[in-house]
Amino acid sequence: MGFLNTPAPYVLAGLVLYFVTYMTYSKYIDRRIWNADPNRPTPAKMYFDGVEYFPVSKYVLFGYQFKSVAALGPIVGPLTAVLFYGWVPSLLWVIFGNMFIGWVQDYSAMMMSVRSEGRSMGPITYKLLGGRARTILLTYLVFYLIIITAVFEWTIIDVLNRVPGTFTAVLFVLLGGVLFGQMVFKMRMDVLKATAIALAIVLIGYFTVSLVPLVRNPPTNFLDSPTYLSQFPAPPGANPATLTWPGTNTVLFWLVILSILYFAAAVTVMPKFLLPTVYVGYLPSIIALVLVLLAAIATPLTGIAIQQTPVKALYVDPLANPQGGPIWPILFVTIACGAISGWHSLISSGLTSKQLEYETDALPVGGGAMMTEGAVALSSIAAMMALAAPPAGAAAYVQGATVLTTSLLHVPPVFMNILYGIFVTVMGLITSMLFVRVFRLVMADLFEGSPLGNKYISTLLILVAAGFLAFVGSWTNLWIFFGGTNQLLAGLALLLVAIFLASQRRPTAYVFIPGIFMAITTLAALAWETYVYGIYAVLNRPIGVQAAAAKLYGPWIVSASNYISAALGALLLVLGIIMTYYLISGWIKYRKEASASR
Amino acid sequence: MGILSRIREVVEGMAVHGQATSILRIKAQIDNLFMIITLGDMLGIPLLPPYYSLRLLPYMYPNIQNWKMYMLRERDVTDRIS
Repeated sequence: MGFLNTPAPYVLAGLVLYFVTYMTYSKYIDRRIWNADPNRPTPAKMYFDGVEYFPVSKYVLFGYQFKSVAALGPIVGPLTAVLFYGWVPSLLWVIFGNMFIGWVQDYSAMMMSVRSEGRSMGPITYKLLGGRARTILLTYLVFYLIIITAVFEWTIIDVLNRVPGTFTAVLFVLLGGVLFGQMVFKMRMDVLKATAIALAIVLIGYFTVSLVPLVRNPPTNFLDSPTYLSQFPAPPGANPATLTWPGTNTVLFWLVILSILYFAAAVTVMPKFLLPTVYVGYLPSIIALVLVLLAAIATPLTGIAIQQTPVKALYVDPLANPQGGPIWPILFVTIACGAISGWHSLISSGLTSKQLEYETDALPVGGGAMMTEGAVALSSIAAMMALAAPPAGAAAYVQGATVLTTSLLHVPPVFMNILYGIFVTVMGLITSMLFVRVFRLVMADLFEGSPLGNKYISTLLILVAAGFLAFVGSWTNLWIFFGGTNQLLAGLALLLVAIFLASQRRPTAYVFIPGIFMAITTLAALAWETYVYGIYAVLNRPIGVQAAAAKLYGPWIVSASNYISAALGALLLVLGIIMTYYLISGWIKYRKEASASR
Repeated sequence: MGILSRIREVVEGMAVHGQATSILRIKAQIDNLFMIITLGDMLGIPLLPPYYSLRLLPYMYPNIQNWKMYMLRERDVTDRIS
């Protein structure tokens, strides 16, 4: 087996290119465009309040930034893209997208915030473009959060259903998290002791599930009979009874469980439930993350060869197969995080920029975290390369990562299966619980004083809206939808940075060109998905995977879901176009002002 | 700084930093209540007779600057996305 026939050289090539970019292009931008100066006081020092504004070590901030940006995106996006288009185009976008656009957005949004007294995206938009642009941005965020929550819900459901035992193990993680919160805040126990107890609970859960087959319950599709599921069209070589089908009783069951968790996370005080779960859940996740990356690099030694086709179709007819579409723009939105993601600009300008000790820390924190996320995306592509005929969904990652790591560690596959099941579920849960919480905060801002701004009503609203899309929608199409909205947000953030730089009379090309590229690409992708949903809605036809939902509840439910999705797509498209127009006109205005004053 | 300390800080950032900031925010809200009750006249809310405010002033003095920074800053919903 040749070295080039293993995932290792491609993962290594990606890592080397990221390193070279960091040492050359990134440093050039940091020094020449932003003139980062360690002696210029940062908002953390100038506006010190000991609550949000205070200097924090760059290593702590790097960890925080990475945790906040890396969730399911860099895992599920690349594997879905490999499934549609093959591993070569996916790998190229993950590497070059991150090198020239991804880190640029994270770092630049952070620097923009640092130079704007630590303000976040909302106030900066208000300052540069006015109140209407900020309201459009917030309205866009509302719909974006519904879609992103729906897609994460589905991804978690898919893993809980297809990797039996994961739920039991995750329950132990949640239990450990809640107990940790109680021990530290109610009982005032020492943090180290509380951590040891919480980790012991997580380990008990992990080993019990891995060693005792009886605990690996409930089984896949436990509320639906295999005979019933076998009538639905599965991809070649896959057994329909082992896949997750929208609209089934099992999916409904998991959806209810997730909704309860989301509700609890959104309305309780953060240190009581959400944050201790992050703390306890992240520790096994870090181990899983490091393991899969090491296993991908060690593939020439472990004998894992590439099983996937390098390049698959470049165009897929939506009526023949609604999943995918033309490689441009769909590939560029299918891989969201890992190459570039709009969510990151919100994080970069949210808390991190307020706590940078030195301006020069923005590059290792913002740029470095994004490139590390690129490494996660590379490991996801490697996991997918190791599988011959993987079905769609995050469960494929669990399968691929298990193949990679068992070849390295020689442990029974069930151990790795459960570890990666926990990893994917916890990463997804942590972030999507945050999305639900952020949704209610945005709603409270937009609808202050009206019932829609009430925390319980707004939380229920997103749970019903996202839950419906996850329950009936076609997952892959929903993922592209999410990618489109997420990447468009990235394009908008890049254009906002371009305006900011123009207002400071600095060169803007390095953000403006990627911003325009992302805006055009994502608007095209949103238009495409709106069209796909629209034709399926008009033809009153279920998209392949929606067959089970149509059979159980009647075609109306599928039709309603597709109409809603098409309407959502059209709305986001219009909001995106308006926002792009505002940004481009703002950029022209500030450029003209800069030229006139010269 | 040694490599182990750096790794420890990165792990701390991943697992604890968000929690620490969130707790600080809750603590700040409780502190705000106390500051408003005792030194509310600074914001035009005279809740306590000035005699008691003045008696408490030496104890509160070190926190006044940070409190004012925290209270008077403009806030936006996008600040809370973290």
